[in-house]
Amino acid sequence: MPVIEVKNLKKYYRVHQKEPGLAGSIKSLFHRKYYDAKAVDGVSFSIDEGELIGFIGPNGAGKTTTLKVLSGLLYPTSGHVSVLGYIPWDRKPAFQKQFSLVMGQKNQLWWDLPAMESFILNKEIYEVPQAQYNKTLDELVDLLEVKDYLKVQVRKLSLGQRMKMELIAALIHSPKILFLDEPTIGLDVVMQKKMRDFIKEYNRRFNSTIILTSHYMDDVKELCERVIIIDKGKLLFDGALSEIIKKFANHKLLTVVFSEPVDEKKLADIGVVKKFDYPQCVISVRRNATSLAAAELLQHFPVADLNIEEPQIEDIIREVFTGKDLA
Amino acid sequence: MRKYLTVFAIDWQNQFIYRLNFVLWRFRNILRVLMTYFLWSTIFSVQTSVFGYTREQIMAYLLLVIFLYGFVGSSPSNDNIGGEVSSGALNNFLTKPIGYLRYWFTRDLSSKLLNVIFAVGEIFLLWLIFRPPLVFSSQPAVILIGILMLVSAVIIFYLLGKLALASVFWAPENTWGFMFVVLVLMEMLTGLIFPLDILPRSAFTALQFTPFPYLLYFPLAAFIGRLSPLEAVRLLFQSLVWLGILFYLVKRVWSAGYKVYSASGG
Ligand SMILES: Nc1ncnc2c1ncn2[C@@H]1O[C@H](COP(=O)(O)OP(=O)(O)OP(=O)(O)O)[C@@H](O)[C@H]1O
Ligand SMILES: [Mg+2]
Repeated sequence: MPVIEVKNLKKYYRVHQKEPGLAGSIKSLFHRKYYDAKAVDGVSFSIDEGELIGFIGPNGAGKTTTLKVLSGLLYPTSGHVSVLGYIPWDRKPAFQKQFSLVMGQKNQLWWDLPAMESFILNKEIYEVPQAQYNKTLDELVDLLEVKDYLKVQVRKLSLGQRMKMELIAALIHSPKILFLDEPTIGLDVVMQKKMRDFIKEYNRRFNSTIILTSHYMDDVKELCERVIIIDKGKLLFDGALSEIIKKFANHKLLTVVFSEPVDEKKLADIGVVKKFDYPQCVISVRRNATSLAAAELLQHFPVADLNIEEPQIEDIIREVFTGKDLA
Repeated sequence: MRKYLTVFAIDWQNQFIYRLNFVLWRFRNILRVLMTYFLWSTIFSVQTSVFGYTREQIMAYLLLVIFLYGFVGSSPSNDNIGGEVSSGALNNFLTKPIGYLRYWFTRDLSSKLLNVIFAVGEIFLLWLIFRPPLVFSSQPAVILIGILMLVSAVIIFYLLGKLALASVFWAPENTWGFMFVVLVLMEMLTGLIFPLDILPRSAFTALQFTPFPYLLYFPLAAFIGRLSPLEAVRLLFQSLVWLGILFYLVKRVWSAGYKVYSASGG
């Protein structure tokens, strides 16, 4: 039984088009031109309980828009969406008590008060029993190591400390489903790692379902078995991370170490030279031509060492995003 | 219910962070009383009675109206909601089991309480200086109806503001919406600057078909004994009719607004 079901979801924003300049402004006062921005354009997927999904795509792909529809902030243009059996945009309290949306750049904390006050307010809003609240808060404060900052005005916290507080505020009602929109944005590498560890641990400990968007491939590689890739509002891929290589990598990388200097131009006949740093060279070749290329190399060049590798996941995803063929 | 009590408590704490803002806001209120008073003083320097009001009666009226204005008119929601809708901060509320308009109404109440506490002190001071004869209705029933009219006035003003601000859903660039219209009308038509019954009879009657005199003038008229019990009941009823109409409109317009809301940000 999937906890999240999305069928043929479309969300078009109505955008008011304004011609530049003052004349354009005046003209648009009387005659407004609109066009539809197709932020999400026919996306379907379904997610089971306890899954930790990486939801990736280039800027403007439609990730945030999808998460906003799933949390009931936006009404879709068309399509069917069910989360925990509810229609999100009905905004039923019983549904709202079971999920949380965390956006990297948004904050819900009261800026001038210690974060503790916002936690207490959320406890009341979500009607969390006192005992459960104490337990959850202790656990979260412990996991995120923020005990010392609970009584400090939020405006005086660093970005990283504040993000941790935001997370606590979002988790105080123990949501079953978590939408994390770029939770590691702007954090240093150490904090990013801690945030990742936390997300992983949270998913494991509470069997919560998590959809995570991020532009840092490390987040996705470390956390998510399954990824969904979208671009321009359309689904490009949905499956195991390892499957991406099979599906999209139409090339392999040959790493060669030469024993004598060679003519770089001649290497171009073998494949695309990605890096040449004598004595080492990396050549990208079509997958189905790998053995042929290797044989050619061994035959015509002074090869000391030869390695055939799958390309890096980052490279493949970049390739998918840009629609370029690297081989 | 408890969640709104907590909102009240947390807003109360928050208000003390902005002490300076608050003091300045109260200072503005005192200036307003004084300015209106001096305006009237020039009128009274040439005649002893204007439209049936003596100098002292006018002063008493102004003191009380400013007190009521502190209660009805202090409404931080009007300064914040437009920005929150436009910037997408509203997202924080729409995903939670809390009513956004109720949340802000609660915060308004917290602000009103603080304002009233200060207004009592200010009015006492001004009263010590000017010593106007404060006359109140001798009929407890009318006073009671006046209190109900005041409660209704607080809600009507809240709803008027929210109706004006709903336009931000359609025009997010204009975070102030039609709020300025409401505030201008509030100054002119509610009795804030002069008692409305000095207007020509026909204008005064026509005003009763707008929500504005129910905000300040009629509750005050009940308190100072200018309404008979029968009139008071009729006006309370009319006030409640306005409340009902506005409640319905706000509900409709906001639910349409949520549908076009584009949840900016992120
Ligand atoms: N409120 C809005 N009004 C009009 N168009 C919008 C609005 N919000 C987003 N869009 C458009 O919809 C598309 C998808 O935006 P969205 O925010 O979902 O992208 P995203 O995948 O989250 O990108 P990023 O990685 O940059 O956060 C973009 O082309 C954007 O310009
Ligand atoms: Mg985004």
